[in-house]
Amino acid sequence: MTRSEARRARLRYVLVATLSPLAILALWALVAWRGLASPIILPPPSAIWTSFLDMAANGYSGVPLWTHVAASLARVSVAYVAGAALGVALGLLRGRSALIDAVLLAPSELLRPIPPLGLIPLFILWFGVGETSKVLLIFLSVLLIMMVNAQAGVRAASLDSLRAAQSMGANRWQVFRFVVLPSALPQIMTGLRVAMGTALTILVASELLGGDRGLGFLILDASSFFRTTYVFAGVALIGLIGLATDRGLAWAGRRIVHWEGRR
Amino acid sequence: MTAAARPSKPAVVGEAAPPSPKAGAERAPPVLKFEQVGFSYDGRAIMRDVSFSVGPGEILALLGPSGCGKTTILNMVAGFLRPTEGVAVVDGREIVGPGPDRGVVFQAAALFDWMTVAENIAFSLRCAGAGKARRREVAEEMAALVGLSGFEDAFPYQLSGGMRQRVGLARVLAAGPKVMLMDEPFSALDVQTRETLQEEVLRIRDRTGCTILFVTHSIDEAAFLGDRIFLLNDLQSGAYDVYDVALPAPRPNPENRLHPSFLRLRETIYRRMRH
Repeated sequence: MTRSEARRARLRYVLVATLSPLAILALWALVAWRGLASPIILPPPSAIWTSFLDMAANGYSGVPLWTHVAASLARVSVAYVAGAALGVALGLLRGRSALIDAVLLAPSELLRPIPPLGLIPLFILWFGVGETSKVLLIFLSVLLIMMVNAQAGVRAASLDSLRAAQSMGANRWQVFRFVVLPSALPQIMTGLRVAMGTALTILVASELLGGDRGLGFLILDASSFFRTTYVFAGVALIGLIGLATDRGLAWAGRRIVHWEGRR
Repeated sequence: MTAAARPSKPAVVGEAAPPSPKAGAERAPPVLKFEQVGFSYDGRAIMRDVSFSVGPGEILALLGPSGCGKTTILNMVAGFLRPTEGVAVVDGREIVGPGPDRGVVFQAAALFDWMTVAENIAFSLRCAGAGKARRREVAEEMAALVGLSGFEDAFPYQLSGGMRQRVGLARVLAAGPKVMLMDEPFSALDVQTRETLQEEVLRIRDRTGCTILFVTHSIDEAAFLGDRIFLLNDLQSGAYDVYDVALPAPRPNPENRLHPSFLRLRETIYRRMRH
C-alpha cells in the first residue's frame, strides 16, 4: 500500500465512522417526525438538543450542568487511576509469582462474576451512601479488570525473549523491567480501554446510591419525572465522555505500544 | 585433544586441513567441553554419554534432523537446561545457568521490539550498568561490524528478516562472549540472504576470534561455515559422526561453495544421512 493509498483508506475510515452515527440520528429524527413513537418514549433529537441547551444555561435541579459533569468525572478518574494502578501491580505480581497468584486467585475470581449492582447494598452498609461507596464501587471493577489483563499480559513474553535477556546477563528485575513489562503493555492498554467503558457504566449505577449531583443522578432523577429529553441528554453526555476517553486511550496506546501488530 | 570421544565411525573427508588460524588452536585449552553429558526428561533419556570439546575460535556445526537433540546440546551450553549426568564446562568453569559469556542467536531473532536497534545491541551493557554514552559507542561499533550502520535508531519491525538476524548477532557480540550459540538462525531466510549471512559469520569469527556453536539442519550450511561438523544420529547412545571441513582460507569466500572438497563432503554427509 502506498502512502497516499493509506491516507485515503484512513480518510474513508474517518468519514464512515462520522457518517454512521449521523445516519442513525437522521433515521431517529425521521421516526420521531413521522410520529411513529410517542415523544415520551422517543423524543426527537431536536427536543433533546433543546433540553441540553436548557441545562447548559440553567443547570439541572439547581446545580450547573458542568458541576454534574465534573462530579462524575472526578469520581471516575479517582477510582479509575487508583484501580488501574493497583490492578496492574497485582496482576503483574500474580503473573510473576505463583505464591501471590495462589493467594489472590479465589478472592478475585469469586468477586469478578458478581455484578457491581449486587454489591451496592453491602457498600451502603459498610461505607454509607456518600462518595466513598461510589468511588470504591468503580475502583473495584477497574481493579479486577486490570488485574486479569496485566496477568494475561505477563504470559505474552515469549520464552526466547526471556532466555535472550537472561543470556545477556539480565537479572530477575531487569528481565521484568525490560522484557516482561513491555511484553505485557499491549494487553494492559487494551484492558485500560475496557475498564474505562466499565467504569462509566458503574458510574451511573453508583450514583443510584444517592447524592444530588453527577450525570448518573441527573439521568435517574429526570427519568423518575418522565423528563425523557433530559434523560437522553444525560445519556448522550456520558456516551460522548466514553467516546472521547476511548479514542484518547486508543491514540495513546498506538503511541506507547507502537510495535504492536507490526512484527 | 581427540576430536570426539566416541564417534560411531571415523569419518574424515577431504585433504588434510590446511594451516589456518585455528589449526594451532586445537592444542590450546578448549573453550567448551562436554564430559559424558546426559540429559533425560521425565525419566526418558534424550541423550547419554556425550563428550566433545571445542577449541578457541572454532566453529562447530551440529547437524541433524529435527528432534535429534542438537538444540538440547545448545540449550545446555546456554544454561537454559542443566545436564542430568556429566558436566558441561565453558572456559574451565561448569555451566550453571545463562550468562553473557554464552550469547544465543535465535531462529526467530527474539529481538526486543520495544527497543531500537542500538538499544537491542547494547542490552547486555545496560544490564551490566554501563552508561548511556558507552552503550551508544558499543552499539555503533557492533552495528558497523554486522553491516547495520545507519540503522541504529530503527525499530526491529522496520527491518527485514536478514537485518533482524544481524541485530541478533550484534547484540550477542556486544557482550564479548566466549562462545556464540546459534540455533538455526538463518533457516527462515531466503537463500541469498542466508548465504550472505553465512559468509558474515565466518568474517565475524575471523575478526573477533569468537568460538561458535552452530546448530543447523542444512548440510550445505554446516559444510560451508563449520570447521568441524558433528552429525548427530543417535544421541541416546552418545554416538555421532565427526567430519573435518577442509576448505582453503580465507573462509568467507562464496567460491568455497563450488570447491571440490565442499562438494565431496556434502555428498558424503548426504549419503550417510540417507543410508
